[in-house]
Amino acid sequence: MNLRSEGAKGVALSAPATVYVGFLVAAPLLILVAYSMWTQTYVDIDRTPTLANYREAFTDPLVRHLMIRSILIAAAVTVVTVALAYPIAYFIAIRAQKKTLWLLLITIPFWSSYLLRVFAWKLILGFNGVLNSALLALGLIDEPLTFLLYNEFAVVLTLAHAWAPFAILPIFVSIQKIDPSLLEAATDLGSSRIESFLRVTLPLTLPGIIAACLVIFIPTVGDYVTPSLVGGSDGKMIANLIQVQFGAANNWPLGATLSLLAMLSVGFVAIVFVLSANGFGRRIR
Amino acid sequence: MKFTSIRALAVAATLPATAALSGGGDLTVFDWSGYEDQGFFGQYMSKYNEAPSYTFFGSQEEAFTKLQSGFTADLAHPCTDAVRKWVAADLLQPLDPAKLNNWDNLLPEIKNVDGVMLDGKVYMMPFEWGNTGLIYRTDKIGDDQISLQLLADPAYHGKIAIPDAASSAYALASLATGNRADYTKLSDEQFQQASDFLRSVHPNVRFYWSDAGQMDQAMASGELEMGWAWNQSELNLIWNETPAKMMRDIDKGIATWVCGYVHLKSSTAPMEQVYDHLNALSDAASGKYIIESWGYPHANTEAFTISDQDLIKQYGFDDPKAFFEGSLFFDAVTPELEVKMLKEFERIKAGF
Repeated sequence: MNLRSEGAKGVALSAPATVYVGFLVAAPLLILVAYSMWTQTYVDIDRTPTLANYREAFTDPLVRHLMIRSILIAAAVTVVTVALAYPIAYFIAIRAQKKTLWLLLITIPFWSSYLLRVFAWKLILGFNGVLNSALLALGLIDEPLTFLLYNEFAVVLTLAHAWAPFAILPIFVSIQKIDPSLLEAATDLGSSRIESFLRVTLPLTLPGIIAACLVIFIPTVGDYVTPSLVGGSDGKMIANLIQVQFGAANNWPLGATLSLLAMLSVGFVAIVFVLSANGFGRRIR
Repeated sequence: MKFTSIRALAVAATLPATAALSGGGDLTVFDWSGYEDQGFFGQYMSKYNEAPSYTFFGSQEEAFTKLQSGFTADLAHPCTDAVRKWVAADLLQPLDPAKLNNWDNLLPEIKNVDGVMLDGKVYMMPFEWGNTGLIYRTDKIGDDQISLQLLADPAYHGKIAIPDAASSAYALASLATGNRADYTKLSDEQFQQASDFLRSVHPNVRFYWSDAGQMDQAMASGELEMGWAWNQSELNLIWNETPAKMMRDIDKGIATWVCGYVHLKSSTAPMEQVYDHLNALSDAASGKYIIESWGYPHANTEAFTISDQDLIKQYGFDDPKAFFEGSLFFDAVTPELEVKMLKEFERIKAGF
């Protein structure tokens, strides 16, 4: 009797989440899978199941190229962001006096829209942008640098800036959770500062680093706005191709296929990353 | 007591709407943003005292997708190249030219564009048109030097832009490879020539523009020296006092687009109101307004005679018929070719 009511409580408690996940995650995913097996015929959709879209996506070197580029760009963004975020998070967690104020300052970029931040980078990196004007005024260059904008570099820079707080916050939390007595113990046992960082702080903050990496890597692989605004033709990513299928090409089935393949690739890379990061964590401990 | 008073209020609120004329706002128009400018339909305003309700789209593809997934409106504003597809998707109903008061005054060349009329039925009332052509910085490139082929010249590395739109890019390529007349039905060989041309242009492309403002700014700053773009960009540059102009030479290659209003199948507004709006839009006075204030040529011939002739000359509308004949019209390409163009263009943009 008691158990039964416990069970009922459990069902009641998980119902909202189940309904939410069912309607807003599982159902759209099923629709996507269904679409990926249909065929676009001019203005209509042929609903005979087929794997033709998958065959097309797998054999198309363009899809492979854009997928690999997206993963590499996202990986670069993740590395840059986390590497820059760690010292900031460390400073706030260990040294800073007014932690709340610092955290507030870090979220400032988020007070403006994502689109505005991308445009801001366009203004900074542009042909007659802030950076070029400054360099020209200082006499360091004779004509504006053109390699700043419309390439992978601009995409990585813009994304790294936009996603910085997402890396700082999880790392900050993991550093703050470290019991100071552990570091004291390490020092007592003769560890140098670097040794105690590598053998105590780093392994203990690894979950924060992994979380930060995933939070940045997964959404940036599929980013659409940044590459389309600052990417030029060299910085286009898989999401731009997916958008074309849902827009100009009006080929939703192929778009659905590409979306699913992108999801699977991201999932695969993320799982491999988490497994190897955990293995690495065990080894350095 | 409370209920009755609410009902009374509700009845009172609906009274004005059910009076002899329905409200002007009951007419819904699905349009590009900016076209809600009341100067475009003065007649409608004076009759209904209220503008139609506008909903906006950013691209024809977006509009098509939205309409296909069930969005309803009375009128929409695509360009002629989209009409065939919209008709195939059963979105449009034919117009009755007898109810279009200005039909006889519309430029015949514009009226005959594929897409205005399909299978003997009128589907679109042309409203505005313009050119897509090669705009260049006159201080950097001479008039005798300019040509479409110059786009592929390695000397202009990173100095050009073309639209991020397959149809427009292939129109440019068809002109450059001498396949203008076959643009809508390029043979495999002609398609290959056009694609090869775009590939040879690709290394010079600074960016494939998707909003004209980006193109205009880059031309004005000197980042770009040539760009395949709309006449609106040329005007923006003129207004900005940038030394730039569009290559308006039919032998070197120029394209013409026509956009207008179509009557959607999902329309619910009274027929009379729909045609009142169409007649207001095609009125010569509306044409004068769009020519003088926007720099867009209108479809009504009379609009040109009543507009400021100096402006007409400055904007290059003084003898439109002269280049209609040699111009490439953005007609709907065959569906198979459209798919090929879109696919190949994505490849070209990615450097394949």
